[in-house]
This record gives sequence, structure tokens and C-alpha cells, in this order.
Amino acid sequence: MLKCRDVGQLLYEYVEQRLEPPVSRQLEQHLADCPGCLAFINTYKQTMRLSSELRCRDIPPELQQKLRSFIKTKLAPHSPNLWDRFRSCFSTS
Amino acid sequence: MAVAPLDEHELIKQLRAQNEAALGAFMAQYETRVFGLALRLTGNRQDAEEVLQDVFLTVFQKIDSFRGDSKLSSWLYRIATNAALMKLRKRPKVQQIPLEEELGPGMTEDGMIAEPVVDWSRLPNDELDRKELGQRIEQAMNLLPADYRSVVVLRDVEGLSAQEACEVLSLSEAALKSRLHRGRLFLRKQLADYAVSRTAPSSMTQQTGVNPGPQHA
Repeated sequence: MLKCRDVGQLLYEYVEQRLEPPVSRQLEQHLADCPGCLAFINTYKQTMRLSSELRCRDIPPELQQKLRSFIKTKLAPHSPNLWDRFRSCFSTS
Repeated sequence: MAVAPLDEHELIKQLRAQNEAALGAFMAQYETRVFGLALRLTGNRQDAEEVLQDVFLTVFQKIDSFRGDSKLSSWLYRIATNAALMKLRKRPKVQQIPLEEELGPGMTEDGMIAEPVVDWSRLPNDELDRKELGQRIEQAMNLLPADYRSVVVLRDVEGLSAQEACEVLSLSEAALKSRLHRGRLFLRKQLADYAVSRTAPSSMTQQTGVNPGPQHA
């Protein structure tokens, strides 16, 4: 029979799905009977979900432009024609 | 971000030749990830912009030294992470975070949870605004020391596999686990303290035991 302390020690492997199935089942049996551990695991997982929502989905167009101008100046200062064509190919705004 | 081996091989060849289409495609593919990573790691827009530019310049200038023993994207993330952490480390050190045991619920001597734990993950949106929680976790992320923040950002924000995060940070799996877990526990505690302070006692339904003692966040 797992104790709450054991659950705390297995928590990481459990959410990473790296526990052996029998251990995982034992842990889930404990959760079924222990609202405290269940609440803790639920909020641990919710924290991970909220972290994943912080992922940046867009980059501001002016920043894209700035990046391309920067790369152009730094990378090929002697072939402006080529790089003008390059920029016009990939400007997205 | 997954690129088939042959494509990647070809892409590297073209980047080495500074093929304009390849450079542009490479930026288009990764600029949002790199900017997001830098923004989250530095917590500062100005720094993130500088990191973004430096990273792509470094990649394009040093692609010849890329030996191909990791994925190209891992190499890129490594350069980006290091550049962002350099910025972060120039700032005054943030406080250390508490030990793992202090971030979990209190335990009785025989290893059982000693106090009720609130399950704020199940509260409806009108009681606990998800947007506010989002802001809260962003603030909490900026409180994490660099070693912890980097693992949480790569793994949980950017969604890298554990193996790739280890590669990017040159960490053992054990070190990754310990930092990631403690980082998550710290964030959880920050959110929990906030959630408990924001919600009415009546909505705290997940309790243990019969004794309505003080609640643990």
C-alpha cells in the first residue's frame, strides 16, 4: 500500500508516464482513495498545461523584417543585389 | 520542427552555401520558436529581440562547425538557450527556490498528507479566471532561477522531449528530472497560493480527513 510520501516521490515518473504498469496501478489505487494526493497531482498537471500555453505562437512582422535586415547586413555586406532579392523573397508582411 | 534526415542533410548543405532560399526558409521555420524561447527565458522583450538576431547570425556563420551529431534543431536551441541565459545571468541573481519537500504538502510522521489540498484545477472559469492564471504563471516563471527556468521552458513551454532538452542543456536525465520537478513544484505552489487567495472557502471541495484544519495550497 503506497503512502502519500511515496506518491510524491513517484509523481514525476507518473506524469512522464515512465512508471512500470504495476506501480502505476498502485499509484492510481492510492489516488482513488486519497483526495489530497489527487488534488496535488491534478494541480501539478494543470501547472504543466498552463506552462504549455505560454508558448509563443506568433512573431511580430516588424521583428521578422528587422531580423532579415540584420542578417543581410551582417552576413553578406558585399553582395547587396543578391540580398535585396533574398529579402524581397521572404518578406512576409 | 521535425525534419527528415535526408531533408536535414540537404538543408545543412544549402545553409553552408548560404543559399538564400534555404536561409529564408530556415528563419521562417524557427524564428517564432527562437523568439518565444528567448522571451520566456529572459522575460524581457528587448533582450529577446537581441537574442533572436544573434542566434540566427551565429547559426549561419557557424554552420560549418555543425558536426551533425545532434539534430539541427537541437543545435539551434542550444545556441538560443545559451544566448538567452547569458543575458539572464548578467542580471542580479534571483533568490533560490525552496527545497522539494517544502514545495509539497506537509506530511505526517508516517508519510500521509497532513492537511487538506485544494484542487484549483477543477474550479470553473468564473471562479478562477484562466487568463489571470496565465499571467500568474508568467510572473512565477520569471522568479525561477536560470537553471530551473531553462528546463521548464524547454520541456513544458516549448514541448521538447526529455532527451532533446538534455541534449540542448548538456544535462543528465537525473539532473533534468530534479530541476524540472522542482521547477514545476515551485510554479504549482505560486499558482496554488494565488488560487487559494482568490477563491471563496466554500468552493474548496477537495479535502482530506474529517478535521477541517488549515488548508494547504
